[in-house]
Amino acid sequence: MTNSKSTLWVVACLVFFLCGTYAFSQEPAAPTNVTAKDTPNDDGSSITITWDAASEDSGVVGYKILRNSDAGEFEEIGKQLDANVTVYKDKTIIKGKTHAYIVRAVYDNETSMYSAQTAAVKAKGQWFHTGKVALFLAMLLFSAAILWNIYHARSGKEVFVRRIPGLEAVEEAIGRATEMGRSILYILGLGDVDNVATIASMTILGQVARRTADYETPLRVPCRDPVVLNVVREMVKTSYLDEGRPDAYNEDDIFFLTNEQFAYAAGVNGMMIREKPAAIFLQGQFYAESLLMAETGNSIGAIQIAGTDSEHQLPFFIAACDYTLIGEELYAATAYLSKDPLFLGSLRGQDWGKVVIFAGIIFGVSLEFFGINWITTLLQRVS
Amino acid sequence: MKRQVPLALCFLFGIAMILTQFSPHSYSQAVYREVIVWGLIISPFALVLAVATLAQTHVSRIRFRSEHWQYSIVVFVGMITMVCVGVPFGPKNSVFEWLYDNVQVPMDATMFSLLAFFIASAAFRAFRARAFEATLLLIAAMIVMLGNVPVGDLFWNKLLSLIPGSDNPESWVNSFADGASRFRQWILDIPNGAARRGIILGVSLGVISQSIRIILGIERSYLGGGD
Repeated sequence: MTNSKSTLWVVACLVFFLCGTYAFSQEPAAPTNVTAKDTPNDDGSSITITWDAASEDSGVVGYKILRNSDAGEFEEIGKQLDANVTVYKDKTIIKGKTHAYIVRAVYDNETSMYSAQTAAVKAKGQWFHTGKVALFLAMLLFSAAILWNIYHARSGKEVFVRRIPGLEAVEEAIGRATEMGRSILYILGLGDVDNVATIASMTILGQVARRTADYETPLRVPCRDPVVLNVVREMVKTSYLDEGRPDAYNEDDIFFLTNEQFAYAAGVNGMMIREKPAAIFLQGQFYAESLLMAETGNSIGAIQIAGTDSEHQLPFFIAACDYTLIGEELYAATAYLSKDPLFLGSLRGQDWGKVVIFAGIIFGVSLEFFGINWITTLLQRVS
Repeated sequence: MKRQVPLALCFLFGIAMILTQFSPHSYSQAVYREVIVWGLIISPFALVLAVATLAQTHVSRIRFRSEHWQYSIVVFVGMITMVCVGVPFGPKNSVFEWLYDNVQVPMDATMFSLLAFFIASAAFRAFRARAFEATLLLIAAMIVMLGNVPVGDLFWNKLLSLIPGSDNPESWVNSFADGASRFRQWILDIPNGAARRGIILGVSLGVISQSIRIILGIERSYLGGGD
C-alpha cells in the first residue's frame, strides 16, 4: 500500500515536471536585439530591420513588421515573414522621414509578442558603393595601364602584335572579290550603335571601305539598326573621300533592311543567293541568325571572315566561315589594320590586364590546393 | 569644332556614366536613367530615314524590274497594311494582333526552324575527322549528343554490359555506369566552361579598352569616320 502510494506520488511529480517544462518551453517571448539601420550602399530608399532568431522550440510561426505612421501610430507593413527570417528590408519608406519599427512575433497558439521600439532612423542615399571598392580600384589600375601604354606608344616604339589570320585575310578577300568582279557583303550584326562590338565592327568596315574605294569594288551593307545605318553611311563616305574616290561611293549600297531578327537573316540570305558576293564579312554581335547567314554564305562559295564577342555563336562561325575573329580579336582589328600607335598601345595595356588576371588565377588555384581561399572569398564579395 | 564638341560630350558623358555605376545615390541613378532615355529619343528620328531608304530601295527594284522584283510589292503591301492597322488603332488592336500572331510569328518560326538543318550541315563539315583537333571535336560532340537524349545512358550501359566481367557488381566497369550524361556534364562544365571563361575575360578586357579609346577620343568611328 505504501509502495503504491509512493509510486503514484513519483508519477504525479514526473507528470507535473514534464507539463511544467513543456509549458515553460512554450512561453511566448518578444523578439530581441531589434535594430533598424539605413540600408548601406543604396539610393536612400530602404531601411533594414534585423532581430535575433527565436529558438526552434519557441513555437514562433512567423514575424510581422510594424512601422510608425505619420500620426505616430504603428501599422503593419508587408506580409508575415517566415519563422527563420531575421532580416527585413523596408522599401516602402517615405523618403526624408524618420521611421521607427517594432517586430511582432506570431506564435502557433495565436498569441503575439511585440519587441521594443527601435530608434528612429532616416534613410540616406550613398554617393559611393563601398562594396565596389575592389572593382573600382581594378578599373582604375587597368585604365592606368592602358593610358600608360598609349602614352608610350606615341614615342614611336614598335609594338609587337601577333599574327591574326582572320585580319590577314581581309586583303585577300577584297582582292578576290575585285578579281571576280563581284560585290562584298558586310554584315554588322544585330547590335545597336551603343554596342561596343558594333562600334568595333564599324571601325573594321571603315578600313574595308578604304580598300574597296581603291579597288572600286562594290560594297553592300544591309543594316538592322536605323542609327547604325546613318553612322555607317557617313563613315563609308568619309573613307571614300579620304581615298580620293568620292565618285565610287554609292549611298544606295548601304541600306536599311529590317529590325526583325529572322526577317533580317532572310533578307541577307536572299541577297547572298541573288547577288553571290565573293566575300562576306560578318562582324559584330550575333544571335541565333549567325549560322543561318554563315551557312548560306558558305553554300555560295564566298570567302567568309566572321568576328563576334558572342561566345555562343563562335562555334557556328568557326564551323561555317573561312576565318573567325574570336572575342577580343574583334576589338584588336582596328589596331591591327590601321597600325596606329595609339591603338597598338591600348592593345598592350589590354595584354597587361590579361597577364594580371592569369597570374591571379594561377595564384588563387595554388592557394586553394592548400586550403587557403581568401582570393576566392574576395572575388565572391566583389561579384 | 565639328569634331571637338561631340568628342567633349562623349568624354563627359562617358566618365559620368562610369561613375553612376559606382554611385547608388538617387541623383546619380536619375542621371543614368535620363541619359538612357535621351538615347531612346534619337532612334525614332533615325527610323524615319531608315524607312525612306527601305522605300527607295524597293521602288528602284520595282522600277528597274530587278530579279524577283515582285517581292518588293509584297514588302510595300505588308508595310502599308501594318501601318494602316497599327498606327490608328495601336498594337493591342485585334486585327493587328491577328496579323502579328498569324503572319509574322509563323514566318519567324520558319526561319528559326531552318537552323536545325543548317546546324546539321555545319556539324557534318566540322566533325569530319581529318585532323587530331577535329577528331577530338567529333568524340566530344558524340558524347554530348548522347548525353542529351534519354536513351543515351541506356545505350552507354548496354555497351558497358558487353565488356567481360561487367555482370560482377564490384567490377571497375560499373564505375562508368550512366557515363553518357556524366561525361556530357563534365565536358560542358570543365573544358567547355574553361574555354568560355577565357573568351569572356578577353572580351571584357577588349570592351574596357575599346571604351577607354572611345571616351578619350582615340576611337572616332562612331562619329562617321575620318580623323
